[in-house]
Amino acid sequence: MRHVLEGSHAVSEAVRLARTQVISAYPITPQTHIVEQLSEYCANGTLDARFLRVESEHSALAALIGAASSGVRTFTATSSQGLALMHELLHWASGARLPIVMAQVNRAMAPGWNIWADQTDSLAQRDTGWVQFYCENGQEVLDTTIQAFRLAEWVNLPVMVNLDAFFLSHTYEPVDVPDQKSVDSFLPPYKPRFQLDLANPCAFNQLAPPNIYMEMRHNIQMAMDEAFTFFEQMEEEFDTILGRRHGSVEAIRCDDAEVILITSGTVTSTSRQVVANLREKGEKVGLLKIKLFRPFPVNLLRELTKPASKIAVIDRNFSFGASGIFAQEVKAALCNFPGHPPVYGYVAGLGGRDITTEVIEDIYWLTKNSTAPENESSWVGLREVDHAVGQS
Amino acid sequence: MAAQQTPTNRTPLLIPCSYLTTEGNKTGSWRFLRPRYEEKTSPCSAACPAGEDIGRVEMLTAQGSFKEAWETVMMENPFPGVCGRVCYHPCEQQCNRREFDEPVAIHSLERFLADTASRYELQLSLQKLESKKQKIAVVGSGPSGLAAGYFLTLLGYQADIFEALPEPGGVLRWGIPLYRLPLSILNREIAQIRELGVQIHCGKSILQEFWRGGKSEYDAIFLGCGHSRSLPLKISGEDLAGVKDGLQFLADIRRGEVSALDGTAAVIGGGNTAVDTARSAARFGAKVILIYRRRRQDMPAFAEEVEMALEEGVELWELQTPVNIAAQDGDFVVTLQHTHVIGKDGQRKARVKPDSNKKKEIRVQHLFKAIGAEAGETWHDPPKKTRGMLGLSNCVLLHKSREPTLVYGGDLVADIKSVAHAVASGKQAAIALDILFHEGLDAVRPRLQSCLVAEGPSISWETYIGGPRSLRNQRVVRYSDLNTDYFQFAPMMIQPRLLPEERFQSFAEINLKIGASLAIREAERCFNCGLCNQCDNCHLFCPEIAVTRDNNPRGRHINYDYCKGCGLCVVECPRNAMILEEELLCDTS
Repeated sequence: MRHVLEGSHAVSEAVRLARTQVISAYPITPQTHIVEQLSEYCANGTLDARFLRVESEHSALAALIGAASSGVRTFTATSSQGLALMHELLHWASGARLPIVMAQVNRAMAPGWNIWADQTDSLAQRDTGWVQFYCENGQEVLDTTIQAFRLAEWVNLPVMVNLDAFFLSHTYEPVDVPDQKSVDSFLPPYKPRFQLDLANPCAFNQLAPPNIYMEMRHNIQMAMDEAFTFFEQMEEEFDTILGRRHGSVEAIRCDDAEVILITSGTVTSTSRQVVANLREKGEKVGLLKIKLFRPFPVNLLRELTKPASKIAVIDRNFSFGASGIFAQEVKAALCNFPGHPPVYGYVAGLGGRDITTEVIEDIYWLTKNSTAPENESSWVGLREVDHAVGQS
Repeated sequence: MAAQQTPTNRTPLLIPCSYLTTEGNKTGSWRFLRPRYEEKTSPCSAACPAGEDIGRVEMLTAQGSFKEAWETVMMENPFPGVCGRVCYHPCEQQCNRREFDEPVAIHSLERFLADTASRYELQLSLQKLESKKQKIAVVGSGPSGLAAGYFLTLLGYQADIFEALPEPGGVLRWGIPLYRLPLSILNREIAQIRELGVQIHCGKSILQEFWRGGKSEYDAIFLGCGHSRSLPLKISGEDLAGVKDGLQFLADIRRGEVSALDGTAAVIGGGNTAVDTARSAARFGAKVILIYRRRRQDMPAFAEEVEMALEEGVELWELQTPVNIAAQDGDFVVTLQHTHVIGKDGQRKARVKPDSNKKKEIRVQHLFKAIGAEAGETWHDPPKKTRGMLGLSNCVLLHKSREPTLVYGGDLVADIKSVAHAVASGKQAAIALDILFHEGLDAVRPRLQSCLVAEGPSISWETYIGGPRSLRNQRVVRYSDLNTDYFQFAPMMIQPRLLPEERFQSFAEINLKIGASLAIREAERCFNCGLCNQCDNCHLFCPEIAVTRDNNPRGRHINYDYCKGCGLCVVECPRNAMILEEELLCDTS
């Protein structure tokens, strides 16, 4: 049934439908609406889950690590500084192979204080062993969150579902909320492959000396590979039961495109419009949306960008001293692929600045009219400022 | 909808997992700080002149162990029924809970325990120590004398109390009005002291010759005969017939020798006797004016009593000094000199100076003097410094080789004349004599020092006889030492009372009884500062599961094989009943 839902509440509905058993979170803008709704569900009995109030994000994830070790379905949500505070335990959750699901609202890192959309928070955690999704709209958020539990529990890795601050978290859209029966049939109760058991006491995750540590790390990578394979299979099932699929990547008019724009998150929606506009003018432009960031869909990218002569990556994030992070990943995916198109990196919309159709069109024309990328990334729409201390 | 196929999950999954016990990892070897249980002193008990173990009393009360709570009081004070009514409860002034919301109603709870003991006729099960050969005479059966007899008997001595009047109790019987202290309560607590084996000989005045020249059969004599002679006003007309003495008036009431008082009565004075006289006179029908030379806040009477007197219609005239009394047609005309405040004296009371020519006269039908009292005989007062004399906080010892040792106690030596101080005096005298008989005069002061509650001056009987309380650190727990996160706001109980308009119709007791559920709820408000009430926070918070417990009420133990010394238990202890010390400084034996 279709409801007009806030992006945050699309997450809450998915967590409810997933029959999550333990939730622990610490409030932070713009994530708070997600767990606010869930705490109400726990309080009024709509959701039979234990809601753990904690004193920090670090404790929230630590609590879930304990809960997940005992073999229950777990969820948390955070954003920006909160995610940064979880950093140590992000590694622990994946190393311990616990299928924790997290909704992560992409918000800029401080200072200066900024609560608006920016992906640097979650991309800075790309090496922590979490599966990462970047969603475009409310429907995708809901569907992906339900899928996240299925995937996490299959590969025994934690999954992070990312959504842009405000552009998605606080925007109301019509969202189809599936019925419980359909979700139950897609997502059966969690059957842990290992769990703490009073009848058979044991300790997990103690010393792993050099003779075994490396194998364990490699094992996580094998699970990441499996995650990619299983994702496809899972989407198939989801489509059968619920009639929707979003894909790990989505290619829009890329078959004959000369320039392919690569986007993630809500910028994709705006870019769809730009591509339609430019196509009307006869421009051969395509759009590639990357939803699955970890594991990174290397082979799909190689395949789908083959026809293009130029690639333009739009990053609402930045790695200081290098470039936009999606651009880096795309370059890395293509570099060993002979004859791959040149990759143009564009940084735009940091800290919630609007990425309008004009901005995206500019990026297209800049790319089209250039003979070769001049730098690792071009900053789009920078204002003239006096680069001295104390700007307000 | 297609039936779900669940193929076997073969996703690689390799994590460290051990079925071996981790007990071999003795994390205690990492420790450089060592927590341990150490009970400390609660501020209320340090403030109690009788040194009652209030924190523990309230803990037992909260647990519903009323007999144990009552006996814990009785270990330090044989008069919980009396003190639960007439004590000015300095304990509540120092209650740490005062900084949180309101103090615990310690006073009302003490009375509740005594009333409960009385209602169920509980028998005291305190053990007397082995019999000693020494005999002690006690002069006066007021609170200090009775307390001395009580504690001497508990110590194994034979104590004989000599009372000049026909019934025992001293000021408790003759000086405190019934609306504050019903006779049945006093009688019961005196009966308990008698049952313990204390001999009280009434109607026996003791003369100074009693011990002169070593004639006495007693090894020591405790003088607790109190202040029975009222101080004079030193103004003209004070000896006119009909001008009454406050203390005498109160005693006359007890003897049933007072009938209705019509017209206006003036009471001169600002102490408890003056206030008791005023309130009693009001109950006999008089319109009462209380005349005090300083201000209300300077009155030595307990503030609560003054408050109730005013509620009952007593008028207070402040800054008025009587300068003359004259008789006129059967009435008295008192000339009052108006004064004003010119600063403060050493005790922070106002110093006053007459306003020239500001005088007025007041015509009254009854006049009472109650400005204080002194010893009935000059030899009741301790002599000025002599050889063999030892001045202690609540009594004065005079040791002579060929005569019985004399101990001056009670109001004879007290700065603050309260029942609790009188009890403290009797207790200190008993313990001091015990030390004197066993270890000599020089040992008295240092041994008493070791049983102080906090830094004193209160001393603990339980500590002296080596009970569990003697293991306690004398350090007083302050509010900042507590972890108040574990306490919830709760207002202090309201002591039920007769309405002011009901009060002066009779001498019925003003403060009413409280029930067990109210008492338990009030006792639960107590922080039990410095004491372990087995809340188990230490056990719950220990990350190493190194705090174990057994059924013994004091049964919390730290397994130092695994305690890393993180100190969480000490921080999470709400009551400051633990301490964290540097490992190297600890006695590891």
